[in-house]
Amino acid sequence: MSNYTLEITNLTKKFGKFTALDNVNATLEKGEVLGYIGPNGAGKTTTIRVMLGILKATSGGAKVFGMDSWRDAVEIHKKIAYVPGDVTLWPNMTGGEVIDLFVALRGKHDKERRKKLLEMFDLDPTKKCRTYSKGNRQKVALIAAFASDAELFILDEPTSGLDPLMGHHFQQCVLEQKNLGKSVLLSSHIMSEVEQLCDQVCIIKNGKIVDTGTLDSLRHLTRVNMKIETVKPIENLATLEGVHDVIEERGEVDFKVDYLNVGAVVEYIAKYGVKKLESAPPTLEELFMSHYDTKGV
Amino acid sequence: MLRGTFANSFTVVKFIFRRERIVTTAWILALVLFTMGVAPAMANMFPDMASRSQFAASFNNPIMIAMMGPIYGADNYTAGAMYGGMMLLWYAMAVAIMNIFFVVRHTRADEQAGRVEVVRSLPTGRLANLNATMISALIINVVLGLLTGLGLAVLGIEDMGFAGSMAYGAATAAIGLVFASIAALFSQITSNASGATGLSFVSIGVFYMIRAAGDMQGNEIISCISPLGLVLRTQAYVQNNIWPSLVLFATAIVISAVAYKLNSIRDLGQGFVAARPGRATASPLLKSSFGLTWRLLRNMLIIWAVVMFILGASYATVIGDISSFIGDSPEYMEVIGVPVDQLAALSEADQAKLIVDSFGTFVTLMMTIVAIVPLINAIMKLRSEERDGRAENVLTRAVRRCRYMSGFVILAYVFSVIIQFLTASGLYVVATSVAGDANPFTYTGLLQAFFAFLPALWVMIGFTVLVVGLLPKATTIVWAYFGVVAFTSFMGRLVMPDWMLNITPLHFVSQPQPMQDFVIDYTPLIIMTGIAAVLTAIGIISYSKRDMITS
Ligand SMILES: Nc1ncnc2c1ncn2[C@@H]1O[C@H](COP(=O)(O)OP(=O)(O)O)[C@@H](O)[C@H]1O
Ligand SMILES: [Mg+2]
Repeated sequence: MSNYTLEITNLTKKFGKFTALDNVNATLEKGEVLGYIGPNGAGKTTTIRVMLGILKATSGGAKVFGMDSWRDAVEIHKKIAYVPGDVTLWPNMTGGEVIDLFVALRGKHDKERRKKLLEMFDLDPTKKCRTYSKGNRQKVALIAAFASDAELFILDEPTSGLDPLMGHHFQQCVLEQKNLGKSVLLSSHIMSEVEQLCDQVCIIKNGKIVDTGTLDSLRHLTRVNMKIETVKPIENLATLEGVHDVIEERGEVDFKVDYLNVGAVVEYIAKYGVKKLESAPPTLEELFMSHYDTKGV
Repeated sequence: MLRGTFANSFTVVKFIFRRERIVTTAWILALVLFTMGVAPAMANMFPDMASRSQFAASFNNPIMIAMMGPIYGADNYTAGAMYGGMMLLWYAMAVAIMNIFFVVRHTRADEQAGRVEVVRSLPTGRLANLNATMISALIINVVLGLLTGLGLAVLGIEDMGFAGSMAYGAATAAIGLVFASIAALFSQITSNASGATGLSFVSIGVFYMIRAAGDMQGNEIISCISPLGLVLRTQAYVQNNIWPSLVLFATAIVISAVAYKLNSIRDLGQGFVAARPGRATASPLLKSSFGLTWRLLRNMLIIWAVVMFILGASYATVIGDISSFIGDSPEYMEVIGVPVDQLAALSEADQAKLIVDSFGTFVTLMMTIVAIVPLINAIMKLRSEERDGRAENVLTRAVRRCRYMSGFVILAYVFSVIIQFLTASGLYVVATSVAGDANPFTYTGLLQAFFAFLPALWVMIGFTVLVVGLLPKATTIVWAYFGVVAFTSFMGRLVMPDWMLNITPLHFVSQPQPMQDFVIDYTPLIIMTGIAAVLTAIGIISYSKRDMITS
């Protein structure tokens, strides 16, 4: 038996002829926060729905707590809290009723926690769900999730409807769970959120995992931003191997260098008398874009 | 200032008609075609004065008048007088429903969905949206009234001339506008579309009852307080009064004016009755998968239970005169399936008994067909919960699929028993109070007759479970099958081929004779129960084994 909290192996999911997930592999260890990122339609939600046993894998599969995600769905659900990306609720029930129902369908009830979360997320539980905005429906799902005593939190773009303050409260909640040793799978579009929270990142595109690892290890595969000022103007900088996006402005040169070519480039520019050199690792945003800029799969 | 308030209303009108080109066209066509179909059918069924007079006489009692409205022109009961008297009230209510949906759709529902906000952000006046909706309603109702009137006139039925037809059409348009304005008013008062629709429907019910009370006591003032009472005073094809239509039209204008005023003084998205705060916590009853299922189906089931009881009761109101009423009309006898060839050989008393038995059979069958609808709805709710993504809220928690589905299935089965019980009870209670000792039905006989149909209802439930489990994308099959079942049960004996009768569960229930000598053949009932169980089991297993489909 593996000791991964989540282990996805060679997962393929087809809808008719369309392949939504193509041989996806990913793991999440206990106590870790895994960021699952990719553009719209990449297959994030589909992966999560297979993990939850809502969809059946075409081949391969997912194990959660070492159990099969389809066969043992109910056992798994007892230890999971899930916040869907698109929360739909019953229009004629109040938010408070729905939270209680959700918590009760899993198990234990913590009144204090519920009250604290309601205050934190500033949600009026006496309003009917039909009057809630997208953000408020998300709050209902988040409160129900964080009020329950789960081992694994599966959060599918949970903050897409929240304002920045609520986004901040959300991050607090995730960190709190992480400190308690709980595991989190966070699918997100918001890079700063992923940078703040995640130990590991998994990037998916067109149903395929294109990159996976810690944030640092991913950065090694990409480009470094450089900003330099030299005594003499640099010749032929753009033609060097691994140099991209050269922009000259008021004597300063901005460019990006592939991680592997940094040494050679620095040696080259030294000849021109370096006055100033700044370099910065790529932000996750850039890292993300670098995968999506390029054409093809 | 005034111009600014209504600016660009006509642009919005055009937009409304673009959005309505299918729905409202379908409503108008359906209503007009219904009118043009029923009028000749009714004239055919009662071809001579004698049959009509007798029909009028059988309806001339307080209960029928409360239900159908007063009988006008009874001393010269022409086909027109009969059509106007029998149909206008029901037609008016159908038109009211069309108008309520139309107005709420374009006012409160659009506002709730944020579409009004978009319209307002354009260079349109503050009241342009409501104004455009009411102008559109005016156009639609005038068109509907004209088509209805012309449609009736061109049929060329004796005593259904141009003037009467136009009076009928004008009354239609006027009552439509009244309910359009009522819906507009409630759309200002409440803050959500379902509230506005609900209150408008309640107003139909209240006005129906006020009219019933007035008509039953012969109190014209009380009747005329209700628009539904007023509209009947048109006396289409008898007096052809135009004043009720004028009064109704004026009423519509006054109510609309109030709605305009309220709209102009409130904020976008707000209502005048603040939405009541609901419960902050769930009751212990709700905190389970089955509790949720009950909560989701509760209102629908309770409403249907009441409707079925009333339906049973309303059939029973004619019970006293039924044998003479039907016995004199060969057409009626054919429709309800009286074995006419056996009739001649019987004594008069036995003839009456056979007719009443056949009527009982017919009524039981009709009620059972109607009872299928809520049962299918209960199971289909599973599918809409799945499609809208709400089922996942439950199924991603510690709830097994089969357990979740079983909640809906169990409620449907239990409700099938309750509904048959209530319909039989409604029939019996009212038949006894109307006909007293002359009530030909016994309670046990009726219960037996209605319960004999249970296995057939269960097959319908089972079939729905099977389709939801196995073919979730093709659930329209269920309604198509229901259409076939309803139609073959109604017309089957006359026109349907055998194979169609053989896929109709209701066909296998022995023709119940709710009086004495009623023998149930249990074999088909046991087989059908078995079939229902198998269909249900396959459906539940398939549901547990497939993807949840949210499209
Ligand atoms: N039930 C379905 N039937 C057919 N195609 C689907 C279905 N669900 C998702 N897809 C397709 O699979 C792809 C991945 O979707 P999804 O997992 O929702 O992406 P993401 O969550 O990353 O935005 C999309 O192209 C989507 O259109
Ligand atoms: Mg998604």
